[in-house]
Amino acid sequence: MMGLFLVAALVLLAFMGLLLYRIVVGPTVIDRLLAVNVIGTKSIVILIIMGILFDRVAMFIDIALAYGLLNFIASLAAAKYFRKHKKIHHVSTMPAEVSHDH
Amino acid sequence: MIINMVLVGLVAFGTTVTHGGPLHSVFNALVGVLLIAGLLFFLSTCVGILRFPDFYTRLNAAGKGDTLSTILMLVACALMVITSAHHVDRTVVLSAIKIIMIVNFIFIGSPTATHALLEAAHWSEIKPWKRNDPPC
Amino acid sequence: MLIAIEVGLLILVPCVAFVALWLRDLMSAVIVLGAYSFLMCLVWTGMGAVDVAFTEAAVGAGVSTVFFIAVLFNTTRNITFNPLDVSSKLVALVACLGFGYVLLQGVSDLPDWGDPYSPVNAGVSTYYIENAYADTHVPNLVTTVLADYRSVDTMLETTVVLIALLGIFMILKKDRPAQSDSSDTQAHDSLIIRLSARFIAPFIQLFGLYVVAHGHHSPGGGFQGGVILGTGLILMAMSMGMASAKRLLSIPRMIILAAVGVLIYAGWGAVPLVYNGYFLDYSVWESVFGSMARSHSMLIVEIGVALTVMCGMYGIYMSLVSDGGMQEGL
Repeated sequence: MMGLFLVAALVLLAFMGLLLYRIVVGPTVIDRLLAVNVIGTKSIVILIIMGILFDRVAMFIDIALAYGLLNFIASLAAAKYFRKHKKIHHVSTMPAEVSHDH
Repeated sequence: MIINMVLVGLVAFGTTVTHGGPLHSVFNALVGVLLIAGLLFFLSTCVGILRFPDFYTRLNAAGKGDTLSTILMLVACALMVITSAHHVDRTVVLSAIKIIMIVNFIFIGSPTATHALLEAAHWSEIKPWKRNDPPC
Repeated sequence: MLIAIEVGLLILVPCVAFVALWLRDLMSAVIVLGAYSFLMCLVWTGMGAVDVAFTEAAVGAGVSTVFFIAVLFNTTRNITFNPLDVSSKLVALVACLGFGYVLLQGVSDLPDWGDPYSPVNAGVSTYYIENAYADTHVPNLVTTVLADYRSVDTMLETTVVLIALLGIFMILKKDRPAQSDSSDTQAHDSLIIRLSARFIAPFIQLFGLYVVAHGHHSPGGGFQGGVILGTGLILMAMSMGMASAKRLLSIPRMIILAAVGVLIYAGWGAVPLVYNGYFLDYSVWESVFGSMARSHSMLIVEIGVALTVMCGMYGIYMSLVSDGGMQEGL
């Protein structure tokens, strides 16, 4: 049974590596935010699986609980950022756009 | 939330009463099934995030698949914590209840984050993908 | 068995860090740093350093990304390169090299890496490991070292948090006329976000109190609990508007409470001086608390730390996001 959990943790890590593609390529910022959000929720699962493998779940569960409670605050803040700064595409080559941004 | 705690208590009670009995192997099989189902849903989430053509469809894949797979795997972990314990005492049941609490918080927080992302995309006027458009 | 997971993390963490450096858009870099923080928390957990992992979880998931976004909200997210502007970079280079040289000179005084005869390895850490529980009746060794044996350190760290809050507050503070339409920006906020924030915020506060109070027995303590409590306030300020957050904890009260936290810590340490003890020597309380004197004293100083850190996080967020005006923000 422990082997299954170890394999599950490894598979989760491998899929996180796949999500890295979206972080690198992602045409917009919120695509990256989406991928980071998924990585965040999955790291909760990996934390608890590591707790089971170490046989110290009671020790690790508080960290996972903190993640479960606080995970969505960062994406909430990032989403609210775009109410004022509407441009989602990054422009750094055109100086006129830069001065228009703020 | 109270219903979830009562369920954890029932499972813990069931494991103590029929220790090593048929219920134990049923729970073990359930852990395996839930874990593999969670992994499969996460695989489909990943494929969706990587392959879908625009932000809104990717958000659809991520919002649903991520929440569901996380919940399935956490429930598997909670069952595993109870069934693998040598004797079920207060610490074990409390750990299982805390995992179920995490499930509850993710069930509320993750769709809220998805909704906030959707609002952000709407504010920044991302165009939805139409057929025959190039994927972005 | 866990080595496989750690190898996987070892591959992922440098990749994420490299991506965060490679991206030219500051907003994207901030978001990728969030993923970096998640993975680093897993690394700390794999090493068994649960208290560090808890700090990384509370700070990384809660406040650090929010602080970065608050700064970007009032500045710009574009990096502008000016290849002709060499002189300021030269000044920075000289300053960095000079300061680095001074620091390296300081390092030469320290004992060698892994030296078995250095004071840390020869006596101190073995004493802590063998006698901490008998001395203080606290199972969590990290809390014992931080809040009892090395508590002067922790007191000054708490003061550093207070100084950071005061510094940011005073630099950014500006007297703006109160705008009547300041609530307008929050008006069209989604009902879903407001409701779920209102649902989760009490649980965050409750969990923060649990972490402060239970830091003796499990990972956690004053700093982590304070960050979680502050994050609850930040969540309220973000979803309900800054006006309603200021109704919960007004700005003058926030400054006073942050100072009161340090005062609790230092005051509790100063009381033994009256009874012919040393500063922060908790054992004079044995006449009141019995054998649990040091344990209870640790709880009290942790409460002081939590108060300062909570107000610090809340005040830094409010200052950064409103550009010092304290009127409207995210």
